[in-house]
Amino acid sequence: MISPRAIATIACQAALESYGVVGLTCRNLAHGIAHVFTRDPGHGVQVNVIEDLITIDLFVVIEYGTRISSVAASVANTVHYHVEKAIGIPVAAVNVHVQDLRISDTEI
Amino acid sequence: MVNVQTEIDTQTRQRLIERYREIDGRALRRVAETGLSWLRTNQQLVNSLNVFPVPDGDTGTNMVLTMQAAMDETEGVSDRSVSEIARAIAHGALMGARGNSGVILSQLWRGFSRALDGQETMNVKTLATALDEARDTAYKGVVRPVEGTILTVSKDIALAAQEALNDGVESTFIMLERIVEAADESVERTPELLPVLKEAGVVDSGGMGLLFLFEGILRAVYRLPIDQPITTVQPLSALNLDRATEAIEPGQDWEVIVDFRPDSPLNVNEFYTQLDEMGTSIQVGEGEGIFRMHIHVPDDLRFKPIEYIDQLGTVTNVSIENLMEQMAFLTTHQDMQNIPLEPVEPDQIAVVAVAPGIGIARVFASLGVAALVEGGQTMNPSTEEILHSFENLPTDKVIILPNNKNIIMAAKQATELTVKNVAVVPSVSIPQGICAMFALDREGLFENTVKAMVSSLDDIQSAELTIATRSVEIDGVRVNQGQVICLLDGHLATAGDDLVEVLLETLKKADVEQSELITLYYGVDLSAMQANQYADILRERWSQQEVEVIEGGQPHYHLIVSIE
Repeated sequence: MISPRAIATIACQAALESYGVVGLTCRNLAHGIAHVFTRDPGHGVQVNVIEDLITIDLFVVIEYGTRISSVAASVANTVHYHVEKAIGIPVAAVNVHVQDLRISDTEI
Repeated sequence: MVNVQTEIDTQTRQRLIERYREIDGRALRRVAETGLSWLRTNQQLVNSLNVFPVPDGDTGTNMVLTMQAAMDETEGVSDRSVSEIARAIAHGALMGARGNSGVILSQLWRGFSRALDGQETMNVKTLATALDEARDTAYKGVVRPVEGTILTVSKDIALAAQEALNDGVESTFIMLERIVEAADESVERTPELLPVLKEAGVVDSGGMGLLFLFEGILRAVYRLPIDQPITTVQPLSALNLDRATEAIEPGQDWEVIVDFRPDSPLNVNEFYTQLDEMGTSIQVGEGEGIFRMHIHVPDDLRFKPIEYIDQLGTVTNVSIENLMEQMAFLTTHQDMQNIPLEPVEPDQIAVVAVAPGIGIARVFASLGVAALVEGGQTMNPSTEEILHSFENLPTDKVIILPNNKNIIMAAKQATELTVKNVAVVPSVSIPQGICAMFALDREGLFENTVKAMVSSLDDIQSAELTIATRSVEIDGVRVNQGQVICLLDGHLATAGDDLVEVLLETLKKADVEQSELITLYYGVDLSAMQANQYADILRERWSQQEVEVIEGGQPHYHLIVSIE
């Protein structure tokens, strides 16, 4: 059995290499710390394993000025592929939650 | 990989240098359009460089659609400044970005346009700055940039422009020549930076797409054609000659593949021009002095390419296939829905099996499956197709046999979309699926039956024989394109040039002495006679074991072997 934590680590690595994703963020906005960027997979990735079905929720910050739907689709695909490849168990779903955008230039 | 012939005289050269000293918005739009045309022309080549089997993987198509959206946006722009045109392109690219490569492309345009903000025209200095800004913007969009991708190529392009500027280049035309040269070299280097490319024997697809955009502009300036995907010779390993039976049009009756060694250096332009008159879907590959030519030709010209190439050098191998006939065969024979199935009674357990070929479907039918779904390697059925297959059955108890690793997920998803009680017995091969059928008790308790079927999966070993579509190294086994490979329980076990040897070697690894029965399911690529010959060889070698031969009818896999 592979721990959800390990899966989260793989998912986190894949997400951070995925184009357009500039960070993972704490999923709980109510706590008011959504802007704390983190590389700790525990924060931005939630892995649920229910009866062999693995679902992954990613809480991401996306670069402002990119087409968000394309970036989200692409990070979902990348994470899906890399996790399945690494653990050899099918992943049922990867849900991408866009928590915030980062504006890295000042043209607006 | 790509060669632009620069055979223009000094006078023309001087004229072009003057003409492109500065570029206005209209010229920018025009050259961007030519870049797109050249990319579109070579779209399939870019698509074929895909290494990851992810759903958004068609890089060429994604980049073309993104650029198309970008160019569409410039249509209504009346302003002639580069600033406004670049802004429109960037906006269009952003709105139409498709896939990973499209998003990166849109970021490049975004940076490019920002640097040109407020400019009427563009000269070498502003062009170099804009390319710098394009690179910076693209790199900002990712936490951990992966090198050996389109990002790296954009970096090398910006660097080449900067160097040209430092060298005193004063025309954007010369700068473009330097850029294309640098981009070409950069693309060639991508496998050195990204091991996964090297393993697959390809260059980076996104980087290649970006190169085509710039190269198309240069080709148009040189007045070279940009509507024929020619003058490119791919490395042999990148040549994707998978059977193209999906969309055969009239005039593509025969597929001809010729391997040859030219007597003198091949004039690629001339070669393509000649072939162009014979047929379509032309691809040429080269590796260690051997060239491989692929073409689709009409009936009356089917020997023409062979005769032509015969004059150029030594022909080492010729393959000629009747595509029309194969299509007709496939359409008349691939009708799985007509197989009679044993009706299932309410309260009985129904089994749905995924089968890649008609013969295998018949085997499952004879073992009592209630529904069949067509699918297998490279043709995975959707969740919906699986769902449809059992939704109308008169029972609530359903078991799915996916019979392929890649279909298990779709099957599991189907279980969630129904009110029926559905379980997936995760069979990863046809033999496993068939083996599980023997554990089926239609009247039995659902949970127990599922358990029995799952535990039966390990009672059997499966071997799958196919031809490598490209050179790779997996599980420590080195494979060349075109070689026979055999997977044993999903892992690459053996590779070689001779089917029989690979089969024997694999069976040895499978400890066949300990088993009782070997069953060969032969695919569409083999005849019954060939399969029986192989069976005889096995019988001679292992006299204690029973050897059975069954028509499987599966594509891609010459043989699927079960060892039990």
